[in-house]
Amino acid sequence: MNGEGALGLGVAQAGVSERALAREQVEDQVKTMAGVPEARLADFFGSIEDGQLVIRLLYGLDRSQEYVMLTWPARGTGYPPLSDVAPAAFVEECEIFEQFGVSPGGGKTLNRLVIPPHADHDFPRLGEAPARDRPPPHAPHHVSGEAFEFPFGPVRAVAQESLYIGLVTSGEEVIDLYLLQWHKHRGIERRLQERLPDEALFIVERAEGLSAVANSWAFCRAVETVADARPPPAVERSRAVALELERCYNHAAAIAALCQATGLSVGQAQAEIALEKLLRLNAAAFGHRYLFGVLAPGGVRTAPDGAVLESGLGPVLDELREVVESLWSTNSFVDRLESCGVVTPDEAARLGLVGPVARASGQSIDTRRDHPFGPFAELELDVPVRSTGDVMARMSVMVDEIEESRRMVTELTAAGLGAGVADLPRVPGCALGWCESPRGESLAWVRLDAEGRLRRARIRPASARNWRAFDDAARSRNVFTDIPIIEASFWLTVAGLAR
Amino acid sequence: MSESPTLPTSPPANLRLLDDERDERAAARRLREAAVAIFGRSLHIRTIDTGSCAVCESEIRLLAAPHYDLHRLGLFFTPSPRHADVLLVTGPAVRAFDPALMKTYHAMPEPKLVVAVGACPLGGVYGEDELVHGRLENVLPVDVFIPGCPPSPLALLHGLLVAVGRLAEKAGELSFIEGTNDSRGTTTSGAMPEDRR
Repeated sequence: MNGEGALGLGVAQAGVSERALAREQVEDQVKTMAGVPEARLADFFGSIEDGQLVIRLLYGLDRSQEYVMLTWPARGTGYPPLSDVAPAAFVEECEIFEQFGVSPGGGKTLNRLVIPPHADHDFPRLGEAPARDRPPPHAPHHVSGEAFEFPFGPVRAVAQESLYIGLVTSGEEVIDLYLLQWHKHRGIERRLQERLPDEALFIVERAEGLSAVANSWAFCRAVETVADARPPPAVERSRAVALELERCYNHAAAIAALCQATGLSVGQAQAEIALEKLLRLNAAAFGHRYLFGVLAPGGVRTAPDGAVLESGLGPVLDELREVVESLWSTNSFVDRLESCGVVTPDEAARLGLVGPVARASGQSIDTRRDHPFGPFAELELDVPVRSTGDVMARMSVMVDEIEESRRMVTELTAAGLGAGVADLPRVPGCALGWCESPRGESLAWVRLDAEGRLRRARIRPASARNWRAFDDAARSRNVFTDIPIIEASFWLTVAGLAR
Repeated sequence: MSESPTLPTSPPANLRLLDDERDERAAARRLREAAVAIFGRSLHIRTIDTGSCAVCESEIRLLAAPHYDLHRLGLFFTPSPRHADVLLVTGPAVRAFDPALMKTYHAMPEPKLVVAVGACPLGGVYGEDELVHGRLENVLPVDVFIPGCPPSPLALLHGLLVAVGRLAEKAGELSFIEGTNDSRGTTTSGAMPEDRR
């Protein structure tokens, strides 16, 4: 990074710089970062270190292949309202308040995230509950005039995750929309504390099962960085194969969901045939349809058989490509996708979106290319980007990514795949891990004590970032029936959001 | 459709557990026969997520996909619990979700079944604590458990097969004469029980 001297950053680990700030410096520093065009607010969380709450603010400097972490102790009045300068920080401001009882200055109204409204003071949290005597700062919802609120959820359509969608409408047009997700909060990060990384991985995978490989790879990398141990390249290549298979099946599932949302039963059935075959290929290659239990801190448990991958993946993806080609020539499908659920490039940057949603809105970011890890340092990656930001753009980004994944699996397999799990030394320390899930950048930050137990594990799946653009997308001149289409094109999970 | 549509009082002998899950066609045939005999090709399933990781939902969605095609067996998903015979529950029963779970359960007409799907509602992922009940049994009477993390669509079909047998048992216990109580004490006035109006 150019301004490295001025920012006074210290290198915490390869690819990550860290700077401890005093409480008074925070606002200026965030303003400085807001002026750096390539700085993307990636995460923002609290961590109790030596009995004191430390706030950690993470930026991705994607063109410089670097992450920057700013830290400061939250004492007294907490911290300045950062979301005034960096809107991408708002959801996390609400989260830090709910979990640690520290709110941003300025009496800002906050939204409710995972603590249910009827929860009492003793509801389990990562830190201390907000003070009892303070009125709740949550923003009230007033709907008036021509509009009314249509409550939808938390029990939704068949085999959909629980999520409450408050639809504000005048009849058909979506005027506003908000989400309530506390119905699915399982306290994943709290459950990880005091565990050894090996035990913790089981829970990390289940934070968001559809990104199990990506989230656990990010977590494993963080743990391995603390232990200063990297698995051999062949083992990392096996992980990368699992990651790309995860991307393929997720994108196939998203395409099937888009067909379902647009009422195309034939397209849906054809995409689901491909999806089922991809899941069976996962099972044949790694022993689990959703690739659970494949990774472990220190390595990977299974090396897939190259012949199985070679003979299995190509034909299925060919089938899927044929399905997509017929979809592109189906007007009733394309009509529903174009100009539907628009996220403008500006919004995508402002909200710090990641993954296909960001790439469809003109953001050329991909963790595999911008912060290379494992075998991706040696692989050429073509990152598909669209600028229209609609459902159509998101789907075509996914379609291109499937082809990239296919090519990468072939290259990885040719380079040789290995298995093996090394014993990691139990040493104290902090580190960040990252990975590119099918939904975008997945982050994990761990703090281990001298026994090698987790003091704090921050798990940030891509879903946790991208849902914040859902209301903007749904509002953009859309009607009720567009919402399932937009949701399918985002292809996020509530599990990853509520954790 | 050759079987007579009488209600058996005990589960049919053909509802034994399958030794080999790969015997897909046999499972499908048994399920179809049982469903046809008991529910006239019309068994309706409502799914509910009490905090899953989204993978069980993915497998449940695939039940309707061509490889498994639930509909050919006379089984259907229904968005309304009031039309549902079976409640397919995923997740560890998050406490904050209780009101929605209970409303859904109570909206279902008798006879009804609760099927716990996956390791979460069996207590295999999260223990009982302040956030989750851990085991679905702690809040609802569970009739069938389908283990697996996630259970594959074939395991789900297998579990539904068992469920159809249980439903036959429950249906046999019900009295369909107005104003009488069945052996389990639930009032069922056949045509329109209290909670269905």
